Amino acid sequence: MSKLKKYVEECRDQKNTELEIIDKGVTNILEIPGLLELGHLTRLTLSHNKIPSVPPTITNLYSLETLNLFNNHIKELPTTLSSMTKLRILNVGMNKLSSLPRGFGACPVLEVLDVTYNNLNENGLPANFFQLDSLRALYIGDNDFEILPPEIGKLKNLMILVLRDNDLIALPREIGDLPRLRELHVQGNRLTVLPPELGNLDLVGSKQAFRGENNPWVAPIADQFQIGVSHVFEYIRTDTYKFLYGRHLAADAAPPPKTNDKSKKISRMG
Amino acid sequence: MASTHPATLRLQSLNEKTASDLFQRRRHHHDPHEDGDHHNILDISVVKQNDDSSTMSFSGAVCRRCTEPFGPTEQIVNSVGEVWHTRCFVCAQCFQPFPDGVFYEFEGRKYCEHDFHVLFAPCCGKCGEFVVGRVIKAMNNSWHPDCFRCEICIGPLADSGFVKNAGRALCRECNAIEKAKGLGKYVCHKCHAVIEEGHIKYKGEAYHPYHFNCTTCGVELNADAREVNQELYCLRCHDKMGIPICGACRRPIEERVVHALGKAWHVEHFVCAKCEKPFFGTRHYEKKGLAYCEIHYHQLFGNICFVCNNVIAGDVFHAFNKAWCVSHFACSVCDRKMSQRWLVGKGTIQRQIA
Repeated sequence: MSKLKKYVEECRDQKNTELEIIDKGVTNILEIPGLLELGHLTRLTLSHNKIPSVPPTITNLYSLETLNLFNNHIKELPTTLSSMTKLRILNVGMNKLSSLPRGFGACPVLEVLDVTYNNLNENGLPANFFQLDSLRALYIGDNDFEILPPEIGKLKNLMILVLRDNDLIALPREIGDLPRLRELHVQGNRLTVLPPELGNLDLVGSKQAFRGENNPWVAPIADQFQIGVSHVFEYIRTDTYKFLYGRHLAADAAPPPKTNDKSKKISRMG
Repeated sequence: MASTHPATLRLQSLNEKTASDLFQRRRHHHDPHEDGDHHNILDISVVKQNDDSSTMSFSGAVCRRCTEPFGPTEQIVNSVGEVWHTRCFVCAQCFQPFPDGVFYEFEGRKYCEHDFHVLFAPCCGKCGEFVVGRVIKAMNNSWHPDCFRCEICIGPLADSGFVKNAGRALCRECNAIEKAKGLGKYVCHKCHAVIEEGHIKYKGEAYHPYHFNCTTCGVELNADAREVNQELYCLRCHDKMGIPICGACRRPIEERVVHALGKAWHVEHFVCAKCEKPFFGTRHYEKKGLAYCEIHYHQLFGNICFVCNNVIAGDVFHAFNKAWCVSHFACSVCDRKMSQRWLVGKGTIQRQIA
């Protein structure tokens, strides 16, 4: 424990604005003496520890811009998080979250949210989640989403959207309302068709990325994937495809079964 | 103007339609083709006449005025077939003989010059004298033809007609100029006529272009002509003189010139191809024949740091279609700065764990 105290004192005395306590077996943030008094701190990294929860007093770190809690045991985040007025980057990947706190969407300047590898689904999002219109990057890969809420179209600044390895059965048409999107990862889901509105976006090129492997695509889309991503986009812009998409929705077939076995996920254990 | 007609002296009843030698009264009829500013000019010409006094005796004749007969040796005044006693041949107003035998007749009565003027002749609105002969009736006043002049150029208006402009009587030319000034049109400094379209400026004054010829090739100028060092040139010659042409507006650059992208530009026309804000001498970036400001160059062509969202100055790390600045190229899991060895994992970068 004296080691942790030393890090904090060193940081305070040298007026360091960044503090890293990585893989030190920390089990409680409140056990790090003096940590929540470092009001000048702009970056705090506590990845690879054993932290089970974040105290509401985390807001004492009022200068914090980057908070990294990757690979801990966190099951819940405090509702006070949304009052951190400078927080731009939040990484709570590889934890045990099944929901985000109420009012989380009120975070005023959040730009990058990484909740990769948790137990989240569409029911675990707070009602105001899609008010996060400052969001540039949203990483929700390796979670349990079956439905992506259509309100995703409100996140007008979104450039990166990672949905890989969820249980998604469809993408909403509103995904075409994200004009700045440059990266879309939907691999490893249960998707069969793409909304034609996706064709509004420019996801083909050296500055863009679109990944769609490991989905039970309908045959015409799978064929286009064989020859290249640019062909997929050309195809979904055609009237033929729009007709086919409409028919597919009307048929309302049962979604493909889940294929991913998640029982061995670390986020499920303990 | 006085004229004498001793042989044909006779009286006529005054009638507007009668063109009498002795007494004429002319009206200028309103011309419907003139515009509303024009006014009737009522012009009365009175011709003075001399009487013809004769000593002939008329037997049985009586005086036109007193109807008495004449004495055998009495002097008789004979005027246009009528005869008077000398004492009866007097002014109808002052009963005095006519000085020098000059009288004026109006509505059957004869008047000496003085009384005729007093009774009937108008006063000139300019000099205040009686107007004898032709009278110009205009602007609610009477004028000698020679006194009725344009208030700007003082040219005579009596025969050319006039235009009323803000209570002033002006000639047509001056009125057009005044009107043009009101409408913001230029008036040629040389011919003083209104420039209907396409003036050129020369030494600060406006001119019709056709008053000048190109200093170099001598062609008659049009409105595209340019003035350089107080000389006028047609556009062709001007463009050949080595004055740079702005790559944006295609007009010559007479002030500061920016040279970029192999062209010359007005300072305010050399702008970012994305935000169209002028660089005003700040750094710009060129790509594919277009210039960009720092922000938009990097936004369009990539080098914005994914973490700080700022333009990357200095070295750039590229991975996954993204870029990082040196200080932010860190492990996405533990935030430690990357050393030589790093790994790619599902769209993130991670330190290689030894």
